[in-house]
Amino acid sequence: MSIVLDRLFKRFDNHLVVNDVSLEVADGEFFVLLGPSGSGKSTVLRLIAGLTEIDQGNVRLHGRDVTRLAPQRRGVGLVFQHYALFRHMSVAENIEFALRIRRVAPQERRRRREELLDLVGLSGLGGRSPRQLSGGQQQRVALARALARQPEVLLLDEPFGALDARIRTELRRTIRAIQRELKITTIFVTHDQEEAFELADRLGVMNFGRLLEIGPPQELYLRPQTEFVATFLGTANLMVGEVTPEGVRLGPVQFPLSTRGGVAGVPRRVQVLFRPEDVAVKTSEDALAWPLLGEGVVEASDFVGSYERLRLRLPKIAGVRPIAPTAPFGGDFILIEASRSQHQARRFPLQAGDSAWVGVRRVHALTHPGLSLLVMAGGSQEELAALDLGGRIASLAHARLTILGGGGDEAEVRSRLQQARERLGGGLAALETAPGGEDPLEAVVRETTRQHYDLLVQGMPARNGAEVAERSLQAGDHHLLLVPAPGPVPSKLLICVAVGEPGKEDVVFAGRLARHLNAQATILTVLPAPADPRERERAKRFLAAGSRTLSLLEGDHDLVVVGAPLVAHRGRATLDRLVRGLLGDLRDHPVLIVRAHEVLA
Amino acid sequence: MRSRPGGVLPGFGLAMGFTLLYLTLIVFIPLSTLVLKTATLSWGQFWETVASPRTLAACRLSFGAAFAAAAINAVFGLLVAWVLERYRFPGRLIVDGLVDLPFALPTAVAGIALTTLYAGNGWLGRFLEPRGIKVAYTPLGVVVALTFVGLPFVVRTVQPVLAELDRATEEAAATLGAGRGQVFVRVILPELVPATATGFTLAFARALGEYGSVIFIAGNMPMRSEITPLLIMIKLEQYDYAGATAIALVFLAASASLLLLINLISRRARAVPAG
Repeated sequence: MSIVLDRLFKRFDNHLVVNDVSLEVADGEFFVLLGPSGSGKSTVLRLIAGLTEIDQGNVRLHGRDVTRLAPQRRGVGLVFQHYALFRHMSVAENIEFALRIRRVAPQERRRRREELLDLVGLSGLGGRSPRQLSGGQQQRVALARALARQPEVLLLDEPFGALDARIRTELRRTIRAIQRELKITTIFVTHDQEEAFELADRLGVMNFGRLLEIGPPQELYLRPQTEFVATFLGTANLMVGEVTPEGVRLGPVQFPLSTRGGVAGVPRRVQVLFRPEDVAVKTSEDALAWPLLGEGVVEASDFVGSYERLRLRLPKIAGVRPIAPTAPFGGDFILIEASRSQHQARRFPLQAGDSAWVGVRRVHALTHPGLSLLVMAGGSQEELAALDLGGRIASLAHARLTILGGGGDEAEVRSRLQQARERLGGGLAALETAPGGEDPLEAVVRETTRQHYDLLVQGMPARNGAEVAERSLQAGDHHLLLVPAPGPVPSKLLICVAVGEPGKEDVVFAGRLARHLNAQATILTVLPAPADPRERERAKRFLAAGSRTLSLLEGDHDLVVVGAPLVAHRGRATLDRLVRGLLGDLRDHPVLIVRAHEVLA
Repeated sequence: MRSRPGGVLPGFGLAMGFTLLYLTLIVFIPLSTLVLKTATLSWGQFWETVASPRTLAACRLSFGAAFAAAAINAVFGLLVAWVLERYRFPGRLIVDGLVDLPFALPTAVAGIALTTLYAGNGWLGRFLEPRGIKVAYTPLGVVVALTFVGLPFVVRTVQPVLAELDRATEEAAATLGAGRGQVFVRVILPELVPATATGFTLAFARALGEYGSVIFIAGNMPMRSEITPLLIMIKLEQYDYAGATAIALVFLAASASLLLLINLISRRARAVPAG
């Protein structure tokens, strides 16, 4: 292995810029790090080059641990976005710089310089000043300069970022050819996916400091594992569906599982991806040989050169909740992105307003269902605390977050949402805000029918906590986080399994959350509550006493997680008395109520 | 010489005309009176005044001390600019503001303050004089005063250039194997030379004309610590107007040609290097 990164961390001002990045790049491999700006990809490069100090983790180059080595001694060639040429030196002097530092004999220097100028296609321009060259030529000089002393590793930091499209393609070919010829291990950082696809042997996608997925470009495009990669690479239709033994189910529509992904077995919720080119659009139902999504209306058709891009609007399908493209707020329809060859577009012309039948050729199920949070942001103390904690959890878990405006007059709600938006903008997979309207519960119901949410975050009022919790749990199929007061992001979870055994949904969800928050979890098991009221009373006391004791012994538990057996009582979901009691006892802790589905069913 | 099209200011003719008028009123007319007044002297008298040992000594001191002060400022001004630009420390803004003080302070105040400090019984002079270093009332004192007034010129010309320097070039040099010293000498310094030269020239020019701060600390002993501007003043006080202008004219010519020379050199240094 030429480059081995072992669990790298880097913080700037307490903000994790590189978060647990591990990577191995093979000898002679062309590896591309792709991500939006601010995702930490350039920082990773600087950590490898030694220009930024590593907080935690190791960098090994060709088996040599260079973690604490100065950049001068790492044997790394680095090419910068804005060339960083020495302006007071000629092109030749720039290229010879590294050789001059190493006191290479003038003759050898000249020979090497001519060789490099030749390699990057600038023969005869050695006498020029960098200022006299175009951007593309300057970047070629920078490349030659970086290669001068035959580095073991070549790092390129968005080298084409400042160049126009035609020069980019040209330089891309040059770099690829040179890399093949020299067989030099290369990491190339870019935010341009076309560039990434064309250059990469393997690709890594970064977002918010995390290296989310690694693989060959085609693999990542066809079979992404995370929501971010699915939507960041190309255009995606992403819906919440279910894995069944027979394949993937999207509402009433059953698809054979055409790509591997996730273990089939018990039905469980997954995110289902299909690309625009996987969507079949026909003018009549019979013409479609693929599983049908339904009949829709063409919203827009755009000519984009070699193919046609369609956006279709389908009526709501029961059980299907879209993630991407995002459904507009208040809309009760599904948007589908499709693309057709120009040949097809000519044979069956479609214009905006035409109706068409939509089928899906193949789907892929994502193994990591991303977290999705809904926060009710009213104006009260505990609701603001809920917004704050929910936002921070969402950003740590890289979740999708929707903020509901809550009560208050319109201007106030708008300014509150605006503030929240500004504060939380970074670190989230997606952020939406929506006015809450008069009745917050109604807004929750409206929102949860539009999209799936894993977790609703809400302030816990000083009184009637249990009633509020019951009503909120009833509004959808999400779990519930109740926040009584402002506090830190939980770093210690106390999981109280009140019903069932560990391994059930409460522990699983709490575990997922703990992993995202980097938190420690303590599991407190309570014996299943039988009908005997005395037994139940004992369990309740045990639970409350246990949490109090634990907070004394081990310091605070910042979050208490309880499994909530929802009992249907006269058509209403009721919390078990145990949990109700607990909510009354735990006045100063946020409480996560994990819904145990099987009880309700 | 033609105007480049597309300038924001009105045409070349108008702009050039205004420039000439302005220069004439402010610079040329006062200077021409210098020549006219000097012309009342015969060649013999002129030569006698100008080539007198006292005048020559004064000129030597003026140019020598100004050059020394500008050279000191070039080095330390660069350092101050570097510290102000590259480090963040508490009180940085205050230090940054202090740099301009020599601009704002009446030069006489600076002169008196320096004299008080460096005189035999002053805070600094008390320690220096027993060790044989006399500052006040010597040429060294002149250099100290001129260094004081010239510092902001170098700092203020170098600072913006330093701020504009692309840090990536230093990082590139580091990855190419250059140590800190090499990065500074080979990468940073060449970029700063033109600005430093400009700062040096400005500080030098200012030092040549400086009067107020010097006369207090110099002691003004003829042949030893008397600067040319003071000599001119003395001539004026003796109602020897022609003699004063004669010295002034020579001093002016010498200064102008020196400044021109420095500007030419720094322009060459700034030019694009050839292969």
